[in-house]
Amino acid sequence: MLRLEALLASGRAAGADLVEIFLERTDHLGVLAEQDTITSVSPAFGMGAGIRVFLGDRDGFVSTNDLSERGLMQALEQALGMLGLSHSSSNSSPFEGLQVMRDFAAAKLDWLDSCPSLAEATLKLLEGTCRLEHHGSHLQARRGSYSRDWQSVLVAASDGTFARDIRLHQSLGLNVLAADGDHRAGLGRRYGTSDRPDDLRQWDADAAAQEVCSSVGTMLYADYVEAGQMPAVLANRFGGVIFHEACGHLLETTQVERGTTPFAEMVGQSIAHEAVTAIDEGLSDGAFGSLSMDDEGMEPQRTVLIENGVLKRFLSDRAGELRTGHSRTGSGRRQGHTFAAASRMRNTFIAAGPHTPEQLIGSVDKGLYCKSMGGGSVGPTGQFNFAVEEGYLIENGQLTKPVKGATLIGEAKEVMPRISMCANDLELAAGFCGSVSGSIFVTVGQPHIKVDSITVGGR
Amino acid sequence: MTQPTIQTLNAEALSGRLQQLAQGAGIQQWDLGASCSTDTSVQVDRGEAKQMKGAQRSAITLRVWNGDGLVGITSTSDLSDSGLARALSGARDASAFGNAEETPAFSPLATAPLAPLDQPLHQPQPILSLLDTLKQAERQLLDRHIAIGTVPYNGLAQRSSERLYLNSEGACRHQTLTTASLYLYARAEEAGRKPRSSGAVRLAYGATELDIAGCIEEAAERTIAHLDYAPIETGYYTCVFSPEAFLDLIGAFSSLFNARAVLDGVSLSHRDSLGDCVAVTFLSIRDNGLHPGNVGASAFDGEGTPTAPLDLVAGGMLKNFLHSEATARAFGVAPTGHAGMGAKVSVGADWFEIGATPGSGGGQQGLDRLNHSGPVVVIDSLSALHAGVKASQGSFSLPFDGWLVEGGVSRSIEAATVAGDIRTVMKAVVGFEGLAKITPDGLCPYVWVEGLSITGEA
Repeated sequence: MLRLEALLASGRAAGADLVEIFLERTDHLGVLAEQDTITSVSPAFGMGAGIRVFLGDRDGFVSTNDLSERGLMQALEQALGMLGLSHSSSNSSPFEGLQVMRDFAAAKLDWLDSCPSLAEATLKLLEGTCRLEHHGSHLQARRGSYSRDWQSVLVAASDGTFARDIRLHQSLGLNVLAADGDHRAGLGRRYGTSDRPDDLRQWDADAAAQEVCSSVGTMLYADYVEAGQMPAVLANRFGGVIFHEACGHLLETTQVERGTTPFAEMVGQSIAHEAVTAIDEGLSDGAFGSLSMDDEGMEPQRTVLIENGVLKRFLSDRAGELRTGHSRTGSGRRQGHTFAAASRMRNTFIAAGPHTPEQLIGSVDKGLYCKSMGGGSVGPTGQFNFAVEEGYLIENGQLTKPVKGATLIGEAKEVMPRISMCANDLELAAGFCGSVSGSIFVTVGQPHIKVDSITVGGR
Repeated sequence: MTQPTIQTLNAEALSGRLQQLAQGAGIQQWDLGASCSTDTSVQVDRGEAKQMKGAQRSAITLRVWNGDGLVGITSTSDLSDSGLARALSGARDASAFGNAEETPAFSPLATAPLAPLDQPLHQPQPILSLLDTLKQAERQLLDRHIAIGTVPYNGLAQRSSERLYLNSEGACRHQTLTTASLYLYARAEEAGRKPRSSGAVRLAYGATELDIAGCIEEAAERTIAHLDYAPIETGYYTCVFSPEAFLDLIGAFSSLFNARAVLDGVSLSHRDSLGDCVAVTFLSIRDNGLHPGNVGASAFDGEGTPTAPLDLVAGGMLKNFLHSEATARAFGVAPTGHAGMGAKVSVGADWFEIGATPGSGGGQQGLDRLNHSGPVVVIDSLSALHAGVKASQGSFSLPFDGWLVEGGVSRSIEAATVAGDIRTVMKAVVGFEGLAKITPDGLCPYVWVEGLSITGEA
C-alpha cells in the first residue's frame, strides 16, 4: 500500500489530475476433449500492472509485467511523459492518501482451491463428449471444452479509490460437426457462470449433449434460406446478441466520444418501439457479466438504458464521464492489465413483455424464426450483422422447415423501432464481447422478440 | 520525456536457468517459446490526443515431456526464477493428462538453417512524435472531402520485439524485429444520407518508413467512393473481389489446407485429398511467409522449424498441406514451418500468394470492370468473417462494402451480403484483373468470380 501511495503521490506531484493503478494476477485453465480423448490441457498464469494518468480529458496508459518498484516507476514516468509531464522528486503532492480498502476479495480467497480439480474437469468433459456420441448420429467430430479464469485485481487511484476483488469465470462448451454425404452442419452451445466455484460439478452433461445433438440433427439436412426482407422472431437467451450488437454498443460512451453512435443527442427521445425496455446491470447472481466492482473500483449498478422505447442513459466509465458528461455506471471494464478500462456492457437484456412466444410466431405469415444465433458485429456506421446458427421458416403462423446460411443485417436506428412484440420468457446466456478494451465476459439476454422486418442474407 | 526501456531476452541465461530447474525436477526433455515486446501507440480525435499507450510485455510457453513421454504445457508472463519454477511445475502436472495417442516431439528441423530475412531494425520514435504524425494524417484526411467529419478509428503504433525458441537438445532460435503500423478509418456523412465509412492500413519496419501519404490517399478514395450509394437488388452477380477481400475469404477457409484440421475431421479436405481438383485449372495459392512484402515475417515457427514457401494449390490441384511436427509425422512428410506451440499444436497459414498458375494463361484475359458488358459487383471488403464463415461446412454469408458497376458507371452499394460455398467459388473464378497487390495478408490481384448470391435491400 505504501508503494502504491508513493506512486500516486509522485504522479500527482508531477501535475497529473488523476493517477490510477490496476494490478492483476491471473490463473487460467483450458481443457479440450475431442471424441473420447483429452487432447489439450493449457494452464496459464500471469501478472501485470496498468497505470493510467489523466490530465484534463487526455490520458496516457502504460502496462507492464515488471511489478518491481523500478518497473512501476518507469511505467508511471512513461505515462506522465505522454502528457508532457515529468516525474518530480518534490515532496509536495496534492494526493491525500488512499481510502480504507473496500475488500470484495476477502470472502473469495478460497475460490480457486474450491474449483474442480484438473482430474474432475477432464472426467466431466469426457462425460460430455460421450453423451454426444450417445445422442447424436452422423457425428464426424465431437468436442468439449472447459475454461476456468481466475483473476485477482486491485485498483488504487489518486482520488482515494482503493479496492480489490477476485473474479472467477467458468464455461463449458460442446461442439459437433455432423456430415452425411454432401450435407454438413456444425454447431455448439456454451454455458458459463461467474463466481460459482462449484458450478462445473452441477453441469448436466446429458441434457447439454441432447440439446446440441437435436439441433445439429435438424440442421444437417436444412436448405439454404431464401434471401430478402422479412419479419423475424428471435428466440430468447442468446437471441439477445441482436440487442447487444445492434444497440448496446451504441449506448457506450466510447461510441459517444468517437462520434459513432446515432443516439448521442437522443436521451429522453424515442429510439425504439414502445414494447422495448432494455437494461444493463452487473448484479445478477452468477451471471457471466456480473461484478462486485468494475475495473475502476466502482460498484456496478442496474442501468436502465431504454424504457418503453425512450433512451434513458448511456453506459459510462471514468474517461467517458470526463469526456461526455455522462456519469459513471460501474461499467469501466477491461480484459486485463494491458488495456485501459472503457465503458462496456455487463449483463444486457431486453425486459420481458406480455406475450407468449406462440403469439409472436402466430403473428407472422411468412418469415424467419431464429432459434439460435452465432456471433455478430457492429461497424463504425452502426450497421450490424449476425449469423443465424439454427433457423426455421415461419409459414402461416407455424414453424415449418429448418433453414441454414442466414445472416441478419441492419442498422440499429432502423431496427429498434421494428421490435414490436416481446414475450414473457426472458432468459440470459453467457458470452464474450471483444471491443476497445479487449475481450470480456458478458451476458446477453431477451425474451422471444418479433422484428417486423429485417434483411436476411442468404442464397 | 522518458522513453520506454526496450525489453530483451537473454537466451543463454534463460536456457541455463531452465536446464537447472528441469534437472532439479527430474525433467529430461523440454522446450520453450519466449517473447517480449515494447510497444507504443497513439490515437487521435479531431486534432487532440485520444489515447496514448505504452506496453512492456513478456511471456513464455513451456512444454515438458514426463517419464511416460506425455507432454504438458504452461504459459506465463512471469519470467522470474519463481515464475519459471511454477511454470515447470504446472507443465509437469498437466503432462499427467497428456494425449498418449498423439504426442508432439521436437521438430527434426529445429536446428536446420534459417532463410535470411531482410528486416531492418529501427529505433522507436518518441511517442509525442508519433502523436504529431497522426494528428497531421488525420487533418489531411479530414481535409480531403467536406463530408469526412471524423476519423473514428485510427492508430499509429510501433513495436520492438524479440522471439526465442529453445529446447533441451540445444536448439536455439532467436529473432528480433521492429514494426510499425498505421490505420485510418474515416466516417463521412452527407445531409439526409446515411454515414459511410472506409479506411486503409499500412505496415512497415519503422514508423519513419510508413507510407502515410498512401494510407491517407487510399482511405480518402475509398470513403469518398462510398458516398453516392444505392440499394442493390437481390440476385446472382459476377463479383470482382479486391485483393484484400479475396485474401480474407481464402484465409477464413484455410482449414482446407490445414493438416491439423484434416486429422481432426473439421476440414473440407481429407487425408487423400492431395491431387484433387479443388479450383479452376489456372488458380494458384501459395503460402510464402518469406515474401519480402510480408512485413514482420517470422523466420521460424513455434517449434523452431524454418519458415518456407509451400504450394497449396497449383493448376487447380491441391498440392500440399500445412504441417506441424506432429501432423507431418502422421502424414509421413517433413514439417512445413506452420506450427504454433501447445500440448496440441495448432497449425496456421503465414501469408498467401494468389494468382495465375505459371503457364496457364490465367483465365479470361483483359477483364476490366469498367468495360464489361453486364453488371458486376465489386467486393471491396468483407465484414464479420468470424460469424459468417462456416469453415467446416464450406459456406459463407458475409456483409460487404462494394460497388455495383454497370455500363462503366460505379455506384456504392448501400448494404448487402454475399453468400456462397468456397468450393464453388474456387471453381467459379473467371480470371484476374490488374496486377497483384501486396497487402498485410498476402499478394493477390482483383479476382473475378461468377454467379455469387447477393442480398440487397432494393
